[in-house]
Amino acid sequence: MTDSIRDRLKAPAGHGEQSGGGDTAQSSLTTNDFVQTDSRSSHGPEQTVPAAVPAVVPADVHPRDPKAVQRAERLVAALFLLAVVGVVGFVVSFILVPFDFGDEGFEYYTPALGFFMALALTGVGAGAVVWAKTLMVDNEVIAERHDLASDPQERAETAALIKQGYEETGLPRRSMLRNSMLLGAGALALLPLPFLKDLGKTKNLTEQMAKTGWRPGSKLLDELGRPVKLGDLEIGSVRSVFPDVPGGRRMADSAALMIRMQPELLKSPESRKDWAVDGHIVYSVICTHLGCPVKLYEQQTHHLFCPCHQSIFDATNSAKVLFGPAARNLPQLAIAVDEEGYFVAQGDFNEPVGPSYWERDDSYPDKVGT
Amino acid sequence: MPKTQRSRRSRFSSYAALLLALTLVGGLYSAFGASKVKAEDGANQSIAVKEGRQLYLQGCSTCHGLNAEGGAGGPSLIGVGSSSVIFQVSSGRMPLANAAPQAPRKKAKYGAAQTQQLAAYIQSLGGGPELPSGRLDDGDLVLGGDLFRTNCASCHNFAGRGGALTRSKYAPALTESEADEIYAAMQTGPENMPRFTDNQLTPDEKRAIVRYVRYVTQEAKQPGGAGLGQYGPVPEGLAVFLIGMGLLIVVTLWIGARA
Amino acid sequence: MAKQSPLEKGANGTAVWVDDRLGSSSFIKRSLNKVFPDHWSFMLGEIALYSFIVLLLSGTYLSLFFEGSSREVIYDGSYAPLKGIPMSAAYSSTLDISFDVRGGLFMRQIHHWAALLFMAAIVVHLARVFFTGAFRKPRELNWIIGVGLLVLGILEGFAGYSLPDDLLSGTGLRIAYSIALSIPVIGTWAAFLVFGGEFPGGAIIERLYPIHILLVPGIILALITFHMMLIWYQKHTQFAGPGRTETNVVGSRLYPAYAAKAGGFFFLVFAVMALLGGLFQINPIWLYGPYDPTQVTAGSQPDWYVGFLDGSTRLMPNWEIRTLGHTFSPNVLLPTQVLPGVLFGLMAVYPFIEQKLTGDKGYHNLLERPRDNPVRTGLGAMSITFYMVLLLAGGNDIIATIFHLSLNEITYALRAGLFILPPLAYIVTKRLCLSLQRADDDLLHHGIETGTIRRLPSGEFVEETVPLPPHYSVLLTAVDTPERRELASHLPQVEHQAAPHQPKGFFKPRGSVVEAPVPRPELESEPSVD
Repeated sequence: MTDSIRDRLKAPAGHGEQSGGGDTAQSSLTTNDFVQTDSRSSHGPEQTVPAAVPAVVPADVHPRDPKAVQRAERLVAALFLLAVVGVVGFVVSFILVPFDFGDEGFEYYTPALGFFMALALTGVGAGAVVWAKTLMVDNEVIAERHDLASDPQERAETAALIKQGYEETGLPRRSMLRNSMLLGAGALALLPLPFLKDLGKTKNLTEQMAKTGWRPGSKLLDELGRPVKLGDLEIGSVRSVFPDVPGGRRMADSAALMIRMQPELLKSPESRKDWAVDGHIVYSVICTHLGCPVKLYEQQTHHLFCPCHQSIFDATNSAKVLFGPAARNLPQLAIAVDEEGYFVAQGDFNEPVGPSYWERDDSYPDKVGT
Repeated sequence: MPKTQRSRRSRFSSYAALLLALTLVGGLYSAFGASKVKAEDGANQSIAVKEGRQLYLQGCSTCHGLNAEGGAGGPSLIGVGSSSVIFQVSSGRMPLANAAPQAPRKKAKYGAAQTQQLAAYIQSLGGGPELPSGRLDDGDLVLGGDLFRTNCASCHNFAGRGGALTRSKYAPALTESEADEIYAAMQTGPENMPRFTDNQLTPDEKRAIVRYVRYVTQEAKQPGGAGLGQYGPVPEGLAVFLIGMGLLIVVTLWIGARA
Repeated sequence: MAKQSPLEKGANGTAVWVDDRLGSSSFIKRSLNKVFPDHWSFMLGEIALYSFIVLLLSGTYLSLFFEGSSREVIYDGSYAPLKGIPMSAAYSSTLDISFDVRGGLFMRQIHHWAALLFMAAIVVHLARVFFTGAFRKPRELNWIIGVGLLVLGILEGFAGYSLPDDLLSGTGLRIAYSIALSIPVIGTWAAFLVFGGEFPGGAIIERLYPIHILLVPGIILALITFHMMLIWYQKHTQFAGPGRTETNVVGSRLYPAYAAKAGGFFFLVFAVMALLGGLFQINPIWLYGPYDPTQVTAGSQPDWYVGFLDGSTRLMPNWEIRTLGHTFSPNVLLPTQVLPGVLFGLMAVYPFIEQKLTGDKGYHNLLERPRDNPVRTGLGAMSITFYMVLLLAGGNDIIATIFHLSLNEITYALRAGLFILPPLAYIVTKRLCLSLQRADDDLLHHGIETGTIRRLPSGEFVEETVPLPPHYSVLLTAVDTPERRELASHLPQVEHQAAPHQPKGFFKPRGSVVEAPVPRPELESEPSVD
């Protein structure tokens, strides 16, 4: 009686009146076939709750069909041999597949290595797992857990031992010993701290933060080192600009962006009236949020946009923050045009560029830096 | 003086005076006469402009005005140059199908020849940026990469796969852009893209950038397997869960199942 | 004694040699006989362990070629588009590994995929431990170690992908510097000391290198060892079932079957990493270009396991307080330092919070099914939802680019979602758990529905049902709720009955007619092992 209900419902039993399937087949099941009653019952079926059951299954619960065993052995062997195939393929690919950059087919090098290594590893791995599942004897066994907590006697003895040892040191009575020990050990803990000093050049920290590479009269160079002239840009153009000082191209805090727009669109305050020239305006690109370069410029909306955390700045209005986590405007570089028509900086930025820090003042006057 | 001698001289001098006058007038006219189209093959060019005008009137004038002066639906095209037309029309952005925060790329409505005609017409109206002759994609690859990273990657992503701008606008992917489109886009600064004059990026530098863009979006064979879209770490993270953990969970189900 | 084969003789000889010196016999006997419970979800932690081994192996290989230095060099290798460009030795050596060392790119990619997989496996494993209550007494310490491994893994991964000094990871270092700057009072000092001066500082690559290859892996290895020793000593937890009690472990012996499966699994995990490393490009630094503090790419994101912090930073409103000559930046501090501090802190002490709230200070070696603890499962679902919103926010510009949506709208929506969705998730999950519990009550009450309807003489229709297989009824009655206790009290207890080995359904129990219970003689087979 171990067929499932469904199995027995499928095939009409011998004492059925009809044969050959279809709806007219009569069920051979009778009400006696059911061990329990029905869905109305408020008591559970006549089933048991095995208590403290040893869940051990006898070793012969899977009668080993010799054919099945042989099939399993062959499968495991084949999987292990697959590993050999994989390694051979790997070595062959390693040597023979084109590897040099630009050679025809070199883009297949790494995929070939990956495929064959995966093949080899799968062979060994799957072989081991199939072996364990189909051929090894894998009965469920039980082990008892012991109490993790030690018994009270043990605990008491340990506690007593510690207490006794502590008393033998004499510490409880000798407060001078104890206090000086604590003081000495505490002092030792401070020993590593002086080693931190020369980790970084922290001299004049706030001055370093407040200055960039721009100096009064620095020409504005583009990324290829050419000075930018009035007339180079059209309305709607942008140019990355760097100070004309040694190493200016690489200075992390000096990079700026020159934008040209219609002059009448600029809404600069009085104090910054002469910081822009004929609609040419220059802002620091170091985002005041976390320092990413704010290089995205939308020509029609005049928005500057930072790709890292999506702060939006209004280029017509002193790079005021319109959206996003940045809390301050981008600093503006005051520029002028020299006699030859090249753009020059009037001086350094009027405030520290980049993200905020504790020592940064509340506000900075619109006075060009030196 | 005898009468006959005098009349012969005066007849001769009047003919000479007439000839001189005609030569003078003819020469002056050739030298100073207004010729709007200064093309090499003047005849072909004016045909292109004529055809272009017809195409314009049919397909563009509703929004851009009968004389490209602008209208309710579109800005003035005077002075935008043939480059603008080549960019907008060959990428299919124009004619605009319906209003959107940004004109999307789509299948071009006009073929290459027609696009050239439209471009010639618009150029004839007020000048503007034009594509240089010769190849546009044979610049220095290394220089192009460096310039691309400084000027373009911040909007278009390191591999030209595009990026987000504010409020539904976007810097499009460059994977389908032809060389002339890329060059023209740099020159003209379509929609919110800034423009890069020849004084900012010389034609050689523009060609270098075009070369790099074509290389990184089309030519380059990517080593190391499938690129996962080249959007950076986001698809990589998705892949490790979907493919890596997915496969491994299937494996653990297999191992853990008791037959 | 039977004649011994050479193999046996050799093995014997070695064993005796070792035992003479270490007395290892009884330890080995106990270890080989150790019982490990069998469930597929217990293998998720192993994925993390095996990924770590692969990381150690591939990382060691990479360290033979990588130069962890910011010294400027001019590139002269095979990758033509960067020839002649000045760059750091770190970036240049990474390009060499990718293009001039055979198998180098493959090794780099395996290493990076293994790192992503390591973190993914930790998170999935953490979820399994959480939802089944495996962190309860006596395993709280192991849970804390696990949270520590999670945090260290994140830091180690960040250090690792910053080493090549490419444009993308360099941007991340810039952000890390600025985060340090934002710390009140000591921020500028901290940033300058760690980086060696004002950004870029010239020292960060040189410092991250030994931290990444020596210091943090050493700590992680020690913690993993401690983690495994605790599992070994305290024994693994198990689900309720036939014969499984709070005071035993039922499963396979370590040797040979479990070891074979676990060892095989190691190779299979390695195979998946090899497949990923070969077939899917990851971190194509040659496309990013060398780090230049004046350049940036659209779509700048950290690796996925740092993504939730990127998301929290993007969603944060721009609160900053500038007063009395100083600047205080909650817009940076809250999402980058306070949030992870609170998150990981709460996570670490959660076992104690739950003990306090439930008053349950007992030992628990049996696991709960998630449905059987609706509050905890709800809290877990709530935390995961919160985390997922942050993760999505970290990729908001990628989402905007691919789906042509407004970035601003996405940000507003996710800000709202961060506060609305988690409580919703809690409520929905709790309700789901309660419903599932009721379904279980029904199963226990009525048995499995067969779909056969019978009409009674009175005209009523009833459905035939079949009793639950024993391993299911044991599983369900192990749950300590009033309904279950009530149900269990009605079921007659019988001495014992061996549970026949039957195929289990995955979502619902697969039923079959079971023989009427017959007391079976005590099974004399395996003695219980200690």
